[in-house]
Amino acid sequence: MGADPDEELVRRIGAGDPAAVQAMVARKLPRVLALARRMLGDAAEAEDVAQETFVRIWRHAAGWRQKGTRFDTWVHRVALNLCYDRLRRRREWVTDELPEVADETPLPDAMPGDEERRVGQALQRIAPRQREAIVLVYYQDLSNIEAASAMQVSVDALESLLARGRRALQAMLVGDDGDD
Amino acid sequence: MAEKTTAGPMDAARFAALADAYGSALHRWPRAEQAAAVRFAETEEGHAILRRAGRLDALLDRQRVEAPSPTLYGAIVARAATEVRQVRRRRFWWLGFGLAGVGLAGAVAGLALVTVVNPDIQSDHYVMDANATSFGDAGPDADQTEEDL
Repeated sequence: MGADPDEELVRRIGAGDPAAVQAMVARKLPRVLALARRMLGDAAEAEDVAQETFVRIWRHAAGWRQKGTRFDTWVHRVALNLCYDRLRRRREWVTDELPEVADETPLPDAMPGDEERRVGQALQRIAPRQREAIVLVYYQDLSNIEAASAMQVSVDALESLLARGRRALQAMLVGDDGDD
Repeated sequence: MAEKTTAGPMDAARFAALADAYGSALHRWPRAEQAAAVRFAETEEGHAILRRAGRLDALLDRQRVEAPSPTLYGAIVARAATEVRQVRRRRFWWLGFGLAGVGLAGAVAGLALVTVVNPDIQSDHYVMDANATSFGDAGPDADQTEEDL
């Protein structure tokens, strides 16, 4: 693993540098918000998760050490844990556990201009771990190793989650197996 | 966390598995397999696999997330000032407690050392005074005792 591009900024935040705080928010907020938005499918909850994630960043900045994990990967892990807390709270009304199997029923065809909402719905219907893998690799552009580290799984397990998630999305959005 | 390495050419099955997992954009594929994947992507079979994966990618790309609002940005920056200050203050106090603890431990260790090296000798010592003899105390009380006899 090379040098962590966030390390110097984190050190300055720990030393109480206000400019470093602003730079960190500008750098990470769009990523954290996008991650939470796609994981939760709810804009208000995503904003809450973003705020809580940054509170943890501020609290840990002074004592943060790399220890084999990039700061960005750690931030993703924190945000994901907060998302899972909320997903579990939602499910408490129905069941104790998050589903492992996606609901792959095809979604109705979109009206023109409605594709974005349809994709958002499809993302919410796949299993959370599959969604997490797709969000990290596809939308957050984490490398396979970083994503596997954030998810605390092996690279093989990550690839399996990605493939199953994409197959489920394909079935819902395209309605066939994608063959020509 | 290890990554598979591909020294030789990639076969169609592995190429399809990677496309199934990572989609059609090769920059998302495992770094160690990208060179072999680029070569396979130029084949007719590679083109077909990427085209299939690209159909889902095109849909996924339509899902955009709004940029953070200035209000959210401001709230997060404002909270930082309080949180960072509290953490620094807490660390300062812990440092103070630590130093006080080290000082106290030093004092205790010093006292223990003095006790070991220079013990109190009075309790075990019999100090002879002018009235004492080898046969006992020859002071005024001793005389009295002899008269009583």
